[in-house]
Amino acid sequence: MSETVRSETPFGLIVPERMGKAVLGIAEQVGGMGVLTGQLVARMLPPRIDRFELIRNMHKMGVRSVGIVSSTALFTGGTIIIQAAPLVVRFGATAIIGWAAGFAMLREVAPLLIALMFSGRVGANNTAELGTMVVTDQLDALRALAIDPISYLILPRVISMIVMLFALNVIGDLVALTGAVIGANALLDVDFALFMDSFLTMLEAWDFVLSMIKSLAFGVMIAITSCYFGLTVTGGAPGVGRAVNSSVVAAAIGIFVMDYFSTFVLK
Amino acid sequence: MILLRNVSLRLKGAQVLRNINLEIPPGGVFALIGPGASGKSLLFKVITGLLRPDEGDVHVDGDCLTGLGDIELGPIRRKIGMLFQNYALFDHMSVYENIAFPLRRLFNYSEEQIAQIVAERLHRVSLPGFQDRFPPGLSGGQKKRVGIARATAQRAPIILYDEPTAGLDPVNSQKIYDLIRDEQRAQGTTAVVISSDVAGLLTVADRVAMMHRGELLFAGTTAHAQRSGHAAVNQFVHGLTEGPL
Repeated sequence: MSETVRSETPFGLIVPERMGKAVLGIAEQVGGMGVLTGQLVARMLPPRIDRFELIRNMHKMGVRSVGIVSSTALFTGGTIIIQAAPLVVRFGATAIIGWAAGFAMLREVAPLLIALMFSGRVGANNTAELGTMVVTDQLDALRALAIDPISYLILPRVISMIVMLFALNVIGDLVALTGAVIGANALLDVDFALFMDSFLTMLEAWDFVLSMIKSLAFGVMIAITSCYFGLTVTGGAPGVGRAVNSSVVAAAIGIFVMDYFSTFVLK
Repeated sequence: MILLRNVSLRLKGAQVLRNINLEIPPGGVFALIGPGASGKSLLFKVITGLLRPDEGDVHVDGDCLTGLGDIELGPIRRKIGMLFQNYALFDHMSVYENIAFPLRRLFNYSEEQIAQIVAERLHRVSLPGFQDRFPPGLSGGQKKRVGIARATAQRAPIILYDEPTAGLDPVNSQKIYDLIRDEQRAQGTTAVVISSDVAGLLTVADRVAMMHRGELLFAGTTAHAQRSGHAAVNQFVHGLTEGPL
């Protein structure tokens, strides 16, 4: 016979109790990420980084992501033109399509979409890898060998993610621009010279710098969340799955929150 | 020598180690036996400083582990080689890299010396030619043997083997026990072995300790264990179905 488990919390307090638990859970996670960040900063003074691990991770996380980021950026650039085309034609604003597409891509669309793609591909994979290492005692094995897992394992991954997302954002911006140029030429009959004229004269260097600042901030967010959720896995293989899910959701929320505040502060 | 004095540990509210007093003398093969979930693997983690006891002291080779952080524990951990229950091989490294890893990180061996040691270790565990394979492509028994090769590569004076024969057939199990015995004699190390295969383990062990529900029930020579008057020890050592366990 199945046994019914009854909550001892009075009915009226169930919602506040659950909200309180959720708040405490979030506080614990944010605090844990803060502690991890502190540990990473401590290992940077002076830097103790395994160069082989750094290069291996930069290749795995960055070089192998170029294809997926480029294809995302190319189609995003083209999509912006498709969306803008009816309005541009209605108002006869083909002369400023280069500025409009560049402004939207550099300031918002490219860093945001590339970061989300990176989080889904690299961040999720990183959480799964670290989580698997935790549940199979590989992290304990490192410690038993007198090797600090934060210096050896985590720091190279965090640096790789930040640096490679920055690099991918530069590539993504250029590819998205190419997609926009192709789209503008095909749909609006705007040639390359006209497109680049408004792009170069109306956009400022700050627009590009802002894109880079955002990608750095998103890189930090993805790196810390993916490592934190990987390192705190419990419950074997199902726990790894849950951690990957939590990591991707937390990184996405963090990216959007950071995007809002960075846009507000650096507008 | 490994010395545990009044060691107690709680995990997630449960008392998993209760007032353990144990002395593991240097040299020889020391068997740590007991039913599943009796705290044997946790005791290994306490000895290596991976878990800190709530009460009591742990001494390894004269050094007390109490209050030491990971950095201070480094020199003590270098004296200990450990085979983990589920191998804990690094999946992203080849067999060669796994065995070479502690040698590269902890010692100043040249690459030629490391290559020699790895080849010798792989020959010793009967896995010559496996150096370029990766752990996910190995069987459970092969992973165990690579784990043993890694645990013994650094020539640590103390080697902890957690279930070195789990999942192996009787012939390969006995080969592993013989290997542990031969290694211990050749290097003069202290080998501490956890195994559920009590009959096989006792063929090579000099001394035995038995744990049950986080408590130490018995510690003594293998001969004493085999004729122990303690009902639970007698039942477990002789694999009897009738008894308190």
